[in-house]
Amino acid sequence: MVVKKPWRKILYENQPYPDNYTDDSFLRDLRTNIKPVSLGEALWGATLLLEEFCTVVAFVLVYVYLYNEWIQPQSIFTISSVFTALGFVFYRLVYSKDVQVNLGHDLRTLLIFMVFGHLFSPVLHTLTDTVSTDTIYTMTFFMMVIHLIFFDYGVSAAIVSNSLSLSAAIFASICLASRLSSAYHAFILITVAVELFVLFPLFRSKIKKSFYIIGPLVLSDVYFLMNSSVLFMIVFILTGVFINIGCPVLFVRYQKYKSNIYGPWDEAIVDDADSVIEGRNK
Amino acid sequence: MGYKICMVSDFFFPNMGGVEEHIYNLSQCLLLEGHKVVVMTHSYGDCVGIRYKTNGLKVYYLPIRVFYNQSILPTMICNVPLIRNILIREQIEIIHGHSAFSALAHEALVIGNLMGLRTVFTDHSLFGFADASAVITNKLLQMSLTDCNHWICVSHTGKENTVLRAKVSSKRVSVIPNAVDTCAFMPDPSQRSSEFITIVVVSRLVYRKGVDLTAQIISEMCSKHDKINFLIAGDGPKRGLLEEIRERQGLHDRVTLLGSLEHSLVRNVLNQGHIFLNTSLTEAYCMAIVEAVSCGLQVVSTRVGGIPEVLPEDLIYLTEPNVPSLIKTLETAIDDLKNNKVNCPYLCNLRIKNYYNWENVSKRTEIVYQKVMQERNKTLQEQLWSYKTSGVWPFLLAVSLCYLMLQFLEYIYPREYIDIAKDYNYKKKSKEKIY
Repeated sequence: MVVKKPWRKILYENQPYPDNYTDDSFLRDLRTNIKPVSLGEALWGATLLLEEFCTVVAFVLVYVYLYNEWIQPQSIFTISSVFTALGFVFYRLVYSKDVQVNLGHDLRTLLIFMVFGHLFSPVLHTLTDTVSTDTIYTMTFFMMVIHLIFFDYGVSAAIVSNSLSLSAAIFASICLASRLSSAYHAFILITVAVELFVLFPLFRSKIKKSFYIIGPLVLSDVYFLMNSSVLFMIVFILTGVFINIGCPVLFVRYQKYKSNIYGPWDEAIVDDADSVIEGRNK
Repeated sequence: MGYKICMVSDFFFPNMGGVEEHIYNLSQCLLLEGHKVVVMTHSYGDCVGIRYKTNGLKVYYLPIRVFYNQSILPTMICNVPLIRNILIREQIEIIHGHSAFSALAHEALVIGNLMGLRTVFTDHSLFGFADASAVITNKLLQMSLTDCNHWICVSHTGKENTVLRAKVSSKRVSVIPNAVDTCAFMPDPSQRSSEFITIVVVSRLVYRKGVDLTAQIISEMCSKHDKINFLIAGDGPKRGLLEEIRERQGLHDRVTLLGSLEHSLVRNVLNQGHIFLNTSLTEAYCMAIVEAVSCGLQVVSTRVGGIPEVLPEDLIYLTEPNVPSLIKTLETAIDDLKNNKVNCPYLCNLRIKNYYNWENVSKRTEIVYQKVMQERNKTLQEQLWSYKTSGVWPFLLAVSLCYLMLQFLEYIYPREYIDIAKDYNYKKKSKEKIY
C-alpha cells in the first residue's frame, strides 16, 4: 500500500485528497475570547460610570440647595470656584508644557464666560419659565440619562458622542435654572453645570481612575443627600452598589457565555496614515 | 452530454473584478468540456436582455435595478416569476451562485432549491466575527444558504471561515482555488528600467487593501533609498491619501499613480516593475500576487487570510502587516535583486501555469457537480427543516411564500407553455487553440 503524503494547507499543488477533505488541523488557528476581563478590571472600569453618576447627583444637589435657599448662591460660587481654581492649577502645572502661553488664553475664556453669562442669565432664567415644573423635572431626568449614555468614558464605541452628552447636560441645567428665584441664581447654576460637565471631565480624563476622586465624590454626595432626604441617600447608595459592584460581577460571571471568534481571516489592524504624516511634519 | 448549469451573480461583465473574471473563465472552460452554461446577472446601464459572449456563452441581464454596491434589493419574492421562467426555459439542472454579497445569487439559490434543482455556492470573501455588520451578514448568509447542496471556497482559510459563519458541515465545503490565465501574464523583462528599481502596487485603493500601509511605506522608502520608484495602478476612496503623500514630499517624479486600469492592461504595468507589493489587510485568495509572479516579479506581501497558502515559500516574501517589517522585507527583496538571487521570470510563469490553470479548476468543479447531481431530491419538509436551523423563524414564512408563488405560477403559467430555448451550436474547438 502506498503511504499518502500528509495533507498540507496549500493551494498550489493538487494533493491526493478530495477537495472537500477536512484535515485534523482544520480550525487549528481559531481563537476564542482572547482576553477575558478580570474582576478587578471590571470593578475599576465601572468606577468611571459611578464618577459621572455622582457628578450628576452633585449637580442636582446644588440645584436642590439653591431652590430651597438652604445656602447662599454666593457661597456656592465661592466653593466651586476655589475647587475649580485648584484643579486648574494642578492640571496646568502637571499636564501642560508652557503654562505662560496658555494662561492668557485661559483667562480670556474665563472673562468671556463671566461677562456673557451675566448678560444672558436673565434670558436663560426665563427661557423655560412657562413650562410646568413636572415637565421640567421629567425633561431634566431624560437629559441626564442621555448625558450618561453618550458620555465619553474613554472607550472607543460608536455610541460615544461628546457633543450630544454635553448639550444634554447643559440643556438640563437651563431647564432647572428657570425654577430658581432670580437670574443670579440661574447664573450660578449654569456656572456650576459648566464646571461639572465641561471642566471636571477634562480633569478626570487626565487623572484616569483614582481613589482620590471617586472617594470624596461619593462621600460628599452621601453627606449632602443625608441632610436633604434619607430615602434618597439610601437609593443613591443602592444604585452605587449596583453600578460599581453588581454590574461588574454579573459581567465577569456571564463572560463565559460570550464567544468572540478570532482567526487568520480577521482584518489586520493598522495605524492611520494621517496621524503618521502629521507626526512627521511636526 | 454535460450538465446544464446556470451561473448567478450580481457581478459580471461589464463590471470588473475577481468574481467577474472567475465566472467568465470558469464558464468558458465548462463550455469547452461540453456543458451548457448560461450566466444570470442584473442589468448594467443599457445592457439589458440577452447577450452572447465568446464561444456562445449566453448571458441574461435581468431588468432589475441596482440597490447598493452593485447588488440588487433583496426582496426574496419579486423576481420569482422571472427567474423561474429562465430556469425552465434553459432546462437548468445546477444553479451555481457566486459571492456572498450578491443578493441575486441568494434569491436564485432559494428559488432553485424550491424547484428541486441542485445548488452550488462559491464564496469569494472572508468575514470577521467581531463587529455588528459582520454578525448580521453572517446570519443572512446562514439563513439563505443552509439548504445549498455544496459550497466552494477559494482557500482553506476561506473554508474555515465559511464553516464557522454559515455553520455548514465541513464535508459539504470544497476548496477550489482561483486560477490565472498565465498566457495573458507573460513576463517581459525588457520593459523594466535598468537604472531604477520599480515597486508596483496593483489594487483597489480602499482601506481593506492596506493603502494606509502603502502610503507610509512610500514616504519611508523614498527618503531612505534614492533609486526606487513606485508605480501604482488602481483607484478608490483612498487615492487622495497617496496623492497627499506625493504632494507633501515632492515625489512626483518617483511615484506614478495610473488610476484604474482595464484588466488586459495590468500586464503592461506589472512588466515595468521589479517588485510587487501587496499590503492587503485581509484576503481570501489574492489574485494580484499570482498575476505578479506569473509576470516574473518578486512579491512582497502581508501574511493575512489565505495568502500563505497561495504560493510556495521561494516565490513570495511574507511578512507581518506593519510598516517596519514590510520595509525590512522590501529591503531584503531589493538586496536579493541586486545580488541576482531572483527566480527566472519565465520559470516563474511556467510554475504558476502548473499550479493554477482554469482547466484544473473546471475539472475540480465538475467533480462537485457530479457529486451534487447524485444527491437525492429533498422534500419541502426537509428543506423547511434545514432553513429552520438558522433560528430565524420569519424566514420560513418568506420561503413558504416563495413556494406558494411557484405553485401558483405553475397554475397560471404552466411549464408546458414556456418555450424551451434552443441550445447554441457549441462547436467543440480544440483546446490547444485557446490555451
